[in-house]
Parts: sequence; structure tokens; C-alpha cells
Amino acid sequence: MNKRILIWILSYGILTVFPFLIPLFITGPYVTHILILTVMNIILASSLRLINLSGQLSLAHGGMMTIGAYTSTLLVVKLGLSSWVALLLAGLLAAVIAGLVGFPFVRLKGIYFAIVTIFLTAMVTLMAQQWRSLTSGSYGIYNIPRPDPIVIPGILNITFTSSVNCYYLVLVIMLVSLIMLYAIEHSRIGLTFRGIQQSDSLAESVGVNTAGLKVLAFSIGCFFAGITGGFYSQYIMAIAPDTFGFLFTVYILIYMTVGGSGKFIGPILGAFILTILPEVMRPLKQFQPFFFAGVLMLVIFLMPEGIVGLPGRLKTIAGRLFKEQQERA
Amino acid sequence: MLKIEGLTKHFGGLAAVSDLDVSIGPGETVGLIGPNGAGKTTVFNLVTGFLRPTKGRVVFEGKDITTKKPHYLAGKGIVRTFQATNIFPDFTVLKNIVFAHYLRPRISFWETVCHTQSSRRKEAEILQRSHKILELVGLEPVAGTTAGTLAHGYKRLLGIAIALAAEPKLLLLDEPFSGMNAEEVGTTMQLIDRLEQRGLTILLIEHNMRAAMNLCQRIVVLNFGKKIAEGSPEDIRENKEVIQAYLGAGEVIA
Amino acid sequence: MDISTLLQSILNGFSSAGIYILVALGLTLVLSIMNIVQLAHGEIYMIGAYGVYYITTSLGLNFFLALVISTLLMGGLGIVLERLCFRPLRGQFDRAAIASIGLILILQNVVLSIAGGDPRSYMSPFTGVLKILGVAISWDRLSIVLFGFGLVAALFLFIRMTKTGQAMLAISQDRDGAALQGINIDRISMAAMFLGCALAAIAGALVGAIFSVSPTMGGFALMKGIAVIILGGLGSIPGAVVGGLIIGLIDGIMPILTTTHIAGLIGFGAIIIILLFRPQGISGHE
Ligand SMILES: Nc1ncnc2c1ncn2[C@@H]1O[C@H](COP(=O)(O)OP(=O)(O)OP(=O)(O)O)[C@@H](O)[C@H]1O
Ligand SMILES: [Mg+2]
Repeated sequence: MNKRILIWILSYGILTVFPFLIPLFITGPYVTHILILTVMNIILASSLRLINLSGQLSLAHGGMMTIGAYTSTLLVVKLGLSSWVALLLAGLLAAVIAGLVGFPFVRLKGIYFAIVTIFLTAMVTLMAQQWRSLTSGSYGIYNIPRPDPIVIPGILNITFTSSVNCYYLVLVIMLVSLIMLYAIEHSRIGLTFRGIQQSDSLAESVGVNTAGLKVLAFSIGCFFAGITGGFYSQYIMAIAPDTFGFLFTVYILIYMTVGGSGKFIGPILGAFILTILPEVMRPLKQFQPFFFAGVLMLVIFLMPEGIVGLPGRLKTIAGRLFKEQQERA
Repeated sequence: MLKIEGLTKHFGGLAAVSDLDVSIGPGETVGLIGPNGAGKTTVFNLVTGFLRPTKGRVVFEGKDITTKKPHYLAGKGIVRTFQATNIFPDFTVLKNIVFAHYLRPRISFWETVCHTQSSRRKEAEILQRSHKILELVGLEPVAGTTAGTLAHGYKRLLGIAIALAAEPKLLLLDEPFSGMNAEEVGTTMQLIDRLEQRGLTILLIEHNMRAAMNLCQRIVVLNFGKKIAEGSPEDIRENKEVIQAYLGAGEVIA
Repeated sequence: MDISTLLQSILNGFSSAGIYILVALGLTLVLSIMNIVQLAHGEIYMIGAYGVYYITTSLGLNFFLALVISTLLMGGLGIVLERLCFRPLRGQFDRAAIASIGLILILQNVVLSIAGGDPRSYMSPFTGVLKILGVAISWDRLSIVLFGFGLVAALFLFIRMTKTGQAMLAISQDRDGAALQGINIDRISMAAMFLGCALAAIAGALVGAIFSVSPTMGGFALMKGIAVIILGGLGSIPGAVVGGLIIGLIDGIMPILTTTHIAGLIGFGAIIIILLFRPQGISGHE
């Protein structure tokens, strides 16, 4: 028993520490950028999965990131707020907006919910384009300051002028997010979400406010999208209405699905593999969309549980082969 | 305890339920019977808040509950089962029951996410109660089985167990015996008997006249959404209009 | 504002409405009959337009012939997609939607690698202006109105008069009931995809004749189509017509009353209000 806990702590410890060590070995602005994108995509795909857990397919993540990015930017640029407060408010505003539109939205079941969330993303982009006095329209906003330095006089002074430090920052955001998402999923709320996913009428009949909980799941998921959007605008130091459009949202969905939405690790794997792999095959850049689509179709049609379902599948296949051999012997 | 007054529901042009009056006293077991499409399930949906009536009202323990949501009514003690098998297929049998203890005891969002002492205590309590319910309905031996893989009769029984876990005062059972074999019907009838003895108020939809007559003190007969008869099982058996309705629907009274 | 500007913008509104309705009808047919959202619908629209472009420029055929050929080809593509892609995923709306996203990536990039990213254009067969009561109306806009509403009328006749059409209506209103009545869902799904894709191709070709064609033109059409079906009622066939008319007219008339930007927002705002109070749309059923 003690040994098992030790192994558990060790393996998770290594998994946690390892990403922090990467910049010591591989450097360069481009690599750092890809690493940051990977970590962002992990947060996004994992939070999308939380919404999925309650039986809803959301395509609102792009819209929520846009809301987060503009909120954080405007609070910093126009009101001079601390970037940290702005980041938190970015997530909160996304969650509040999701909560407000969520109530009418969750009355729509299944695919209809997905359709209105696509529309929400389109709507946010359009708002950002048209509300020029606030957003400066399609041109977007440039020269957004990087996150404020963290200073404890005499002890600590972390600035975020270097991309590597931004990578460390987003890594910390990711760890906190994953811990929160994990805690929610493995709490009774998570159990309730999964019940609603299987049968919302039955859940409702034993006293679950299914509409409220679906909105809660949607709102929590969107909180993380808002934060990530806010972070990205501070890191890239710019934001435009179509930075996170329909296609961006779709990619998050692809990470989650390819990795496998059944397990917590699924979206993490999916985001990691599908962000890193195309960079490895950079010479074949023009085939990248085909590669993506190909992987997606392969998973949709042949691996319903995604990459996380692969070991199980292989095991059954191996088991069958083994059995055949035994029978022959 | 429950009073249904002038309850009416139209689907487009179809009057699925029209001007229905029924009242049920505490501890009573009332049967709701009628041929296919008579509107029985619609009455359940109206009483439990899954549908809103076109006209009429539903009063429970003196309070008008006509426009309330199902989850709210579950909190008040009105719990129903479903005609089509309705369970959480990916959960184990035990987890189905644990889930159904959603309201009692209530564990708040922060309690559960932060995994506090009080939440752990309540979880333990729920687990204990869940096992008790499984023993009561006879599903304890399959507690660890994934619910979706159960045999049909067990799934139906699990449906009832889920409703019981929500601790109803008024239990509405929609054709509990459908798809069960003779032996399972027997155990389920015994179970309902036991629930009756514990003082639970029950409204029961049943196709099978004999089962309904055995279990219920009073029977309400619906046809084309209208109440055509109400009375003791003996009265109903003799009632001309009831016999006609069933024969008209091509069914034979057992 | 003079009367001719107003008439011109009303005509513009109707021609936009014609396009939106054609796109939305396809989406809503597929949605209500197969219970999936075909997100690659805009790509079908785009390829329909490219089809006409290549057939008229490379093969030198006349526009109308090209339109017929391209429409039939896209209808055929629809059938193939139904068989290969959507039928295996029936009942799994989320995976079907994701598969259609895969189709977006594939179709868009196939066209991109064949045709390149630059916009192309071909001549509209409808040129010149028509003068009515001293108001000049361009024929190309008018042709879209005539085509669009002619097709809508034809579709309604088809639904009214043919057995297949009746079966489509039955499934769109009550899937389970229709299946119980012995309606062959496979066949009707194929018919829905054929019709939906054919309508999208016609819409794309008509738009291509006035403006230009490019590999990314489908996104706009998809978003407009989604807006229309949300407004009109998800899965409702008459709703798509009503919704298309409303959004088309708003898009056509509002720009002369205010700025184009605000006009865009008004249409979306109307939909948000509809969503808040009646999420099933104007004529959708719950
Ligand atoms: N949601 C609905 N929309 C439209 N019509 C409905 C709906 N629910 C039920 N109906 C119709 O109302 C009528 C009564 O249905 P209901 O399910 O209440 O009958 P029932 O007495 O439970 O029949 P059964 O014995 O078959 O379960 C039927 O004609 C049915 O088709
Ligand atoms: Mg019934």
C-alpha cells in the first residue's frame, strides 16, 4: 500500500516537474511558442471536457476566449488594472456570460445546444468587430502589456518580458486548472454531471436541478476558456476579433475527441500529441490539415474512445490472438 | 395528500387528458388503468412536473404545485418511475442508488469539491443507506455490476430502487411489471406490498388488471383521457363501461 | 433617401433572403431528418460554385448547363457522404458533427490545393438592368430572387405532392412515429442529403456569379444558414423560409437606415432575443 502511494507520488511528481525542465534543454522562441500553445490547448480541451461530462457539446470556447481576451486587455489598457486582476475578471466575465445565456441554451437538447453555441462564438466575433469604440474593430488591439512582474522586494522579482517565463506562467495556470477540474470531476458534482449525461430525465426525477447543473458545467468550462484567452492576449500582446474563431474552437474539440473524452487524461494527451506532432512534421506543412482531418476521421470511425481507448483495444486484440494460439496448441 | 382538479392536457388537437379529478389520501394505493394511449403516462408527467397542463391544477399536501419543476417536486417527496426502462447504464447498480440520494443528505458544491470532513461523513451515510435499499429490493448480489448489462427484469427493479432512494412520500410507478417474467412480477408485487405497509402512498399505472386489483384499494380507469370509472377493484371488475373500453381496445380482462 | 434606393435595397434583401433560404433549407432538412448538424454544408456550397466555375471556364459550357451539372454532382456527393460518413454514425449526433468538421478540413483544403487561395470569378449570364417605374433593377439580383423563390416553391410542391416529400415531413416532425409507420429512414436520409447538397450548390453558384468564389466562402454561408434556422426554428422547414426572409431583409434594408456594422448586429440581436425567450425558434417545436 505504502509502496503504491510512493509510486503514485513519484510518477505524478515527475509528470509535474518535467514540463518545467523542458526550457532548460530546448530553447528558442519558436519552441517556446509551441510549448505555450500546447499547454493552452491542454487547458482548453480539458475544460471543454467538463462541459461534455454533463452531456453537452459546446462550441462556445472560441467566443469565450475572445471575451476573456478583450476583457483582460481593456481592463489593463483602459482602466489600468493589474494584469492579474484583469485575468481573473476575464475568466469570471466569461463564466457569467455563459451562465446568463446558458439558461435558455440548455433548454435545447443534444445537437441543438451545439448549434446555438457555434452561433454564440460567431456573435462574439461580430460584436468585437462592430463595437469599434471599445475594441477598435477588425484591426484589433496591439501593444498589450505583458503580465505585471511579481515582486516581493528583496526576495523575488519575476518579470514576463521573456517568453520562457510566460511558458512557466501558463504551466502554473494549467496545473491549477487541472487540479480544479479533477477535483470537480471526482466530487459529487462530477458524479451528478455524469448522471445527467446518461439520462437527464431520471436525474431530474430524483431531485437534480438538471438545467441549473448543465449551466454550472457550461459556466465553469467557459471560465477556463476566458482565462486562457486573457493569458494569450497578454502573451502575444495583441488581440483581434477573429483570433479565436470557429476553426480555433473546432480544433479544441478535435483535441478532446481524438484524445478521448471518456477519461481525464484524454484531452491532455490529445492536445499534447496534436499540437506537437504537426510541428515535428513541419516540412509537410501543406498537408497539416489533411493530417488533422485524417486522424480525426480515423478516431471517429475506428476508435470511439479515442487514444485513451487504445490500450484497452490492443489488450482485447492481443487477448484474442493469445487465446487462438492457446486453442491451437 | 394529492388532489388533481380538472386536469387537462392537449397535444396539438389531441386531448390526451381531459378534465380529470382524482384525489389520493395518505397511505393509499391507487391504481390508474386504461387501454393503450388512454393518457395514463401523461397524467404522471403532469403530476411530476415533466409536462405543464393546459388547464387544471395539482395540489400536494395543501399546496398548489401545478407549475413546479420535477426536481423541486422530488424534493417535496413526489417521485416517479418511467414506463421505458430508465437507469444510468454506465454506473454500477450501487452507484445508481448512491446517485439517487442526491437530495438527502444534501452535499453542497464546496463541501464536495473541497472534500471536507462533513462531505465524507455524508458519503458514508449514503453508502450505508444504498446498501439497505439494495437489500430491500433484492439487488444486493449485483451491486457491483454495470447497470447497462443487467437482465431486463433487474433493470426494471433498479428503476424502482432508484425512486425509493429519493425517499418519496408519494411514489408513482409507471407499469412496474412490464417486461418482467412471472417470478419477477411476484417479487415486485411483494416489494410494493411492503412499501404499502410502511405507509408509502402509491399511484400505480398497470396494464395487467389482475396485478392492479391485487395491489390497489381503489382504481381509476381512464379512456381517451377521460375518467370513465372509479371504485374498488370489485366495482371496476363489474363495470360495463370498463369492460367495453377494454374490449373495444381489443384486450381481454384477465 | 429616395424611392429607388429603397426599392433597390428591398430587392437586395430579397436576393440575400433567397440565398439564405436555399442554404438553410438544406441544413434544416438534414438536421430534422438525420438529426445531425452538417457543418460542412458551407463547403458543399463552395464546391458547387467552383463546379460552375470550372465547367464554364475550362469546358466552355454555358452557365445553365454548368449549374445543372454542378448541382447534380453535389447532390451525388451528398449521397456518398450520407452512406460513407453519416449513416455509420446515426444516433450519435456529437460524433457526426465532429465528422462533418473533419469534412470541412478535407474539402476546403482539397479545393485550396487544386484551385489556390485567390478568388476566382465567372460571368453571370444575367446582365444589364431592368427598368420598372423608373427604377433600375439589376438582372443578376433579380435572377437570384426568382431562382431562390422558384426553388422554394418547387421544394414545397415536392414535399406536398410526392410520397418521399411526405415521408420527409413526417420524419422531421416525429422521428420515432415515422419509423413505426414503416418509413424507410435510410432512403429518406439519402434523399435529404441529395436535396440539401443540391440546394447548397445552387446557392453557391448563384452567389459566385455575382461576386466571386474562394475556398473559404463556405464559412459565411454556414453561419448565415445557422442564424436562419435558429431564428426560424431548429428543424422546421417553413421556419427556414420565414427566418431567411427576416434575416435577408434585415441585411438588405438596414444598411440604408444605419451603418452596415449596426445592421449586422441587429440581425444577430434579434436572434439572441429569440433565443432567450423562445429557444426553439419562431416555429420550432419543443
Ligand atoms: N409529448 C407528446 N406529444 C404529443 N403527443 C403525446 C405526447 N405524449 C403523449 N402523447 C399522446 O397522448 C396520448 C396519451 O399518451 P400516454 O402515453 O399518456 O398514454 P398511456 O395511457 O400511458 O398509454 P400506454 O399504455 O401505451 O403507455 C397518446 O395518443 C400519445 O400519442
Ligand atoms: Mg404509458
